[in-house]
Amino acid sequence: MQDDQQPEVFAAIAHPMRRRMLDLLAERERPVHDLARHFGVSRPAVSQHLRILLTAGLVEEQRRGRERVYRLTPQPLAQIHTWLAHYERFWPQRLQRLGDYLDAEEAEEEHS
Amino acid sequence: MTSASITHDLYFAHPPERVWRALTDREAIARWLMPNDFEPRVGHHFTFQTTPMPALNFDGVCHAEVTACEPPRLLAYTWVGGALHTLVTYCLEPEGDGTRLHFEHSGFDLSDPIQQASYRGLQGWNPSLDVALRREVDALAAEV
Repeated sequence: MQDDQQPEVFAAIAHPMRRRMLDLLAERERPVHDLARHFGVSRPAVSQHLRILLTAGLVEEQRRGRERVYRLTPQPLAQIHTWLAHYERFWPQRLQRLGDYLDAEEAEEEHS
Repeated sequence: MTSASITHDLYFAHPPERVWRALTDREAIARWLMPNDFEPRVGHHFTFQTTPMPALNFDGVCHAEVTACEPPRLLAYTWVGGALHTLVTYCLEPEGDGTRLHFEHSGFDLSDPIQQASYRGLQGWNPSLDVALRREVDALAAEV
């Protein structure tokens, strides 16, 4: 994926309804009418959310006869996962250093 | 998502005032965290020099702003870099002769700056809903 796509990914998943859509599509691919019956909003509103997910590269659209079918393409979400994974490793290490720093500072004072 | 925030709960055998100093003194911060130009006052903008991550379109500079500073109890600053817009919070409580630190780095699921205004409305990606999605993302991350 392109780096410049990332802000769109963050914006796309910021909306609870779009996250719910992604969850539904993670189970299986679904046509618009199937998605729409899970939400108490109009079909155009659902289509608008789907367009945002399409632009962010999180879903793919396929025409089948008179229907459009949507499928999850979650690769862009791996970026967010990477951020989180980075800080999950980073903080325990730094907080350990904070503790070491405090201990060392006290030891220095006792010696002086 | 693994979680929307990272939390740690630690005990230090040092009084809160001392821990507070380690969290807010520029040179102390540089020793345990990163080089910085921190000042302990709300509204102060500062930066942390971190490792660039080209894969995430991130130049390594974290931009931060102090959002809470109540010595020696509460310190919070935003943590912004690349497409990431998060918040780091340190909460100190006296415990015996030492200090209990509640640490949180939050906001990983609402990082688009455009969405900051709606921050309050966006809390929580309902964990009961995202199991299938999380499985997908975990599988992908394992491949990276």
